[in-house]
Amino acid sequence: MNLRGVKALIRGLWLSWMQYRSFFFVLAFGWMIPPLIYLLVWSTAAGDGSLGGFNRGAFVAYYLVLILVNQITYAQVNWTVGDLIRCGQINHILLRPLAPVYDALASEVAGKTVYLLFDLPILAILALIMKPEVTFTWEKVGLFLLALLLAWMLRFLWGYWIALLAFWSARADALLTLQDSLIFLLAGQVAPVALLPGFLQSAAIVLPFRYMVAFPVEILTGNLGRADIAAGFAIQILWTTLAAVLTVVIWRRGVQRYAGFGG
Amino acid sequence: MPDLEGNMHILRLIPYFIKVSFQEEAAYRANFFISLFTSVLNLATGVLGIMILFGQIDSIHGWNEASTMALLGIYLMVTALRGLFIGPGLDALAGMDGEIWAGKFDFVLLRPLNTQALVSLRKWRLFSLFDLLLGLGVFILALAKMQTVLSAWQIFSFVIALFSGLVILYAILLIFSALVFWSPGVLFTWVFDGLFQMARYPMGMYPGWLRLVLTWIIPVGMITTIPAEALTGSLEPVMLVASLLLAAALFAAGTALFQIGLRRYSSASS
Repeated sequence: MNLRGVKALIRGLWLSWMQYRSFFFVLAFGWMIPPLIYLLVWSTAAGDGSLGGFNRGAFVAYYLVLILVNQITYAQVNWTVGDLIRCGQINHILLRPLAPVYDALASEVAGKTVYLLFDLPILAILALIMKPEVTFTWEKVGLFLLALLLAWMLRFLWGYWIALLAFWSARADALLTLQDSLIFLLAGQVAPVALLPGFLQSAAIVLPFRYMVAFPVEILTGNLGRADIAAGFAIQILWTTLAAVLTVVIWRRGVQRYAGFGG
Repeated sequence: MPDLEGNMHILRLIPYFIKVSFQEEAAYRANFFISLFTSVLNLATGVLGIMILFGQIDSIHGWNEASTMALLGIYLMVTALRGLFIGPGLDALAGMDGEIWAGKFDFVLLRPLNTQALVSLRKWRLFSLFDLLLGLGVFILALAKMQTVLSAWQIFSFVIALFSGLVILYAILLIFSALVFWSPGVLFTWVFDGLFQMARYPMGMYPGWLRLVLTWIIPVGMITTIPAEALTGSLEPVMLVASLLLAAALFAAGTALFQIGLRRYSSASS
């Protein structure tokens, strides 16, 4: 593995992302707002009582962690890979003596650092104002970190195979919009999965979207039983593997038919 | 052709603006179906969000499912109107390849028309009419579900509140767009888009400090909550007057800021 090359890539991309930081801060702000709205609405709705096992402080804790997880796992591959294919700039990347996935990974590290520079201070202030209620145990934190890593891999690979559809069609936008809506509904943003009505809850548990955002958050702030956690990890690993296989297959086929238009 | 004087003439140009915008849009036909799909999904997530919330609780600070849904209808209609003709023209100003940054704004200034009116009215996105219909549908269904007979005062105060809400929306957009003259790369209207999403829910559902900010400082609450309150009959007449005064003040402030900003514009390159 070409470690020096990877390091140089990350450094270069980090510098170029920081150059446009106001743009990325605006993006991060936009992503933060929908969960923030539901944090405020649910915590007002809970008032002094509780809804579906969540009291006000529990909603605050759940959503603050969700905002963080959503930002860390957010799939930006549509721009870092999809746009490059559409515009033909991937030619430069294909010529490098490094697998193109490293370029997407380097963008991932660079981009996420810029976003978190914006998010972390705001989350800290919100936590001070809104007083979340949560107790961490080392076991929960450990499982959370593992689930977070898998959630990031799943969302990255899932986004990657969808972005690779750009090899066939210049516009996979409809699929991306659909995915955003499903993440909003089923990945714990509009409400914690436990509060969804029956059919949506079953869909959330089977489909991959909960495992991209909500699952780690539920481990850290909720009270999932051991059986639920074990089942969750099993489904998460299954979808991650499937996404990895899809990415590899689609990449191989796509590169073969890619003709490198543009410059 | 219009002569060189008078702002009234820009109204006569609107049919031409619409025609040109339509021709530009019609060149990308695949986009039509993607937009259709996006609109329907946007509607579905909004409605489902409210249904999920009220699946857990009957009312929050006086708002029940039907009145919150009516507010969503107002939000969708207002958003559609903005997308129809104010938004596209103002959005083109900002950003890295925006007109101010790239100097393309020269061509707007050269036109013998009131610049502010031209910038606001030049681009149309007719697809937003479909969004407007969807919003109207949600609004009418919610009204039917509210099962109240609206009094003349409720209808009158609703129309006034909606009008002043639309003026407030235009004025805030103008203010955020005018900031571009100071810092051309920043997408100020995107920041506003984020804040405007908060108008999906009644201000009563937010904590007190935020309610004050969203009612008086960045008054997105005035745009949807006040008209919805007019319909449910919970609106204090003094708030209706306040919203009209705020609309007038913001419109004046927005116009002034845009004029000051215009003087800072010095094109691009040498």
